[in-house]
Amino acid sequence: MHIRTACSSMDTVDAAVADIVKQMDLFEAEMVLFFASTKYVPDSVSKKMQDAFPMAQVFGCSTAGEIASGAMLNDSIVAMAWDGQAMKDAKIEVVGNLRDENSVRAAFSSFESYFKVSMAEMDPGEYVGIILVDGLSGVEEGLMETIGDLTNVTFIGGSAGDDLKFAATHLYAHGKSHSGSAVLALLKPGIGFTFIKTQSFRDLGKNLEVTKADEEKREVLEFNNMPAAAAYAELLGVPPEEAPKHFMHNPIGLVIDDEPYVRSPQQISGEAMRFYCGVKEGMELSILESTDIIGDTREALEQAREELGSISGIVNFNCILRTLELKQKNLAGEYGKLFAPYQTVGFSTYGEQYIGHINQTATMLVFG
Amino acid sequence: MAGKIRQMIDAIINQRAKDNPMLERVIKTKLILKGINPNRYTLQSDDDPTVIGKLEKMMQDLR
Repeated sequence: MHIRTACSSMDTVDAAVADIVKQMDLFEAEMVLFFASTKYVPDSVSKKMQDAFPMAQVFGCSTAGEIASGAMLNDSIVAMAWDGQAMKDAKIEVVGNLRDENSVRAAFSSFESYFKVSMAEMDPGEYVGIILVDGLSGVEEGLMETIGDLTNVTFIGGSAGDDLKFAATHLYAHGKSHSGSAVLALLKPGIGFTFIKTQSFRDLGKNLEVTKADEEKREVLEFNNMPAAAAYAELLGVPPEEAPKHFMHNPIGLVIDDEPYVRSPQQISGEAMRFYCGVKEGMELSILESTDIIGDTREALEQAREELGSISGIVNFNCILRTLELKQKNLAGEYGKLFAPYQTVGFSTYGEQYIGHINQTATMLVFG
Repeated sequence: MAGKIRQMIDAIINQRAKDNPMLERVIKTKLILKGINPNRYTLQSDDDPTVIGKLEKMMQDLR
């Protein structure tokens, strides 16, 4: 077994990290990725996880709930380790100033020096990136655009959470903790990999064109030349004041080749609608309706297994809104069990990344 | 003037996808997420300087 996972809900950082080390059972880790509840003091958990795996590159972030093989957890640490055969090489960089694209360029320059190949020429079948970003930064779209402009390598990941406190999220790398930052990890796996992007929605065929937006604030002022909230409510056939009740069940999607890139409404602000994700003027969006998260996830996992032949590990970045919906429908246990056959870690995110920044989606990096 | 945006979109897709259909889909998705829907532009479309600026940056970034 070249990938191993562990989880712990012990009360203190020391006890939880010791528990994880014990479960890893002298596994020779080349790289360790972990996700931790904010119950664990950020500086301490980052340092102690690195100290526990001194020969490995260790990184991770804070969460709004954790995912392990077979279970959705809270107040825990989950960790995945790769040996040198599963992970031939990896380089981890912290991006400090998220609004300055030169920060990404600096990280990429470091990757280029390390791997001796330019990011523009790097083979996306040989390399893959993981992005973990401050979930309260509100700048994920720009970050993903910059990354996407500079390379064909896929960066997949999630926005760090803080157990729904919305106070501060934390990124962990090299034994340190960071906020207002992103961690970029460029991996050269020794085994096959693929991606899952799954969201459980159908397109209702009700279209909203963004005719006026404040893109910096992620706010739509007008859809179809009407006040945004009124246009959304009208298409759903409900009074505007009832529109927020429909946000979780009826988000909006940019549908590309029948695949929705979900933009979740956050709140109505005057007559405008604010989103958890960027919306640009001219975008043609559709109102979506939620369907079956369990069935769709099962199918996506089966497809990935068929593509790879077998699955040796899954890193799951699952939107907190999906987690809340699963809990509301009493399906969190069933969702966790979908991952029981696989070595899995993941967390409930404040946003997901795959090609761009999206909401109400699970993005997964799957290893064969 | 017209048609420059369509030409630039085609050039970006050729430059970056190198005949790989999977990469072609990814690049089209990246463009749409930037607010530039390739399906909307033809050789008759007006040359919008804002869109051209975004596309020029994309072309430069991958050089």
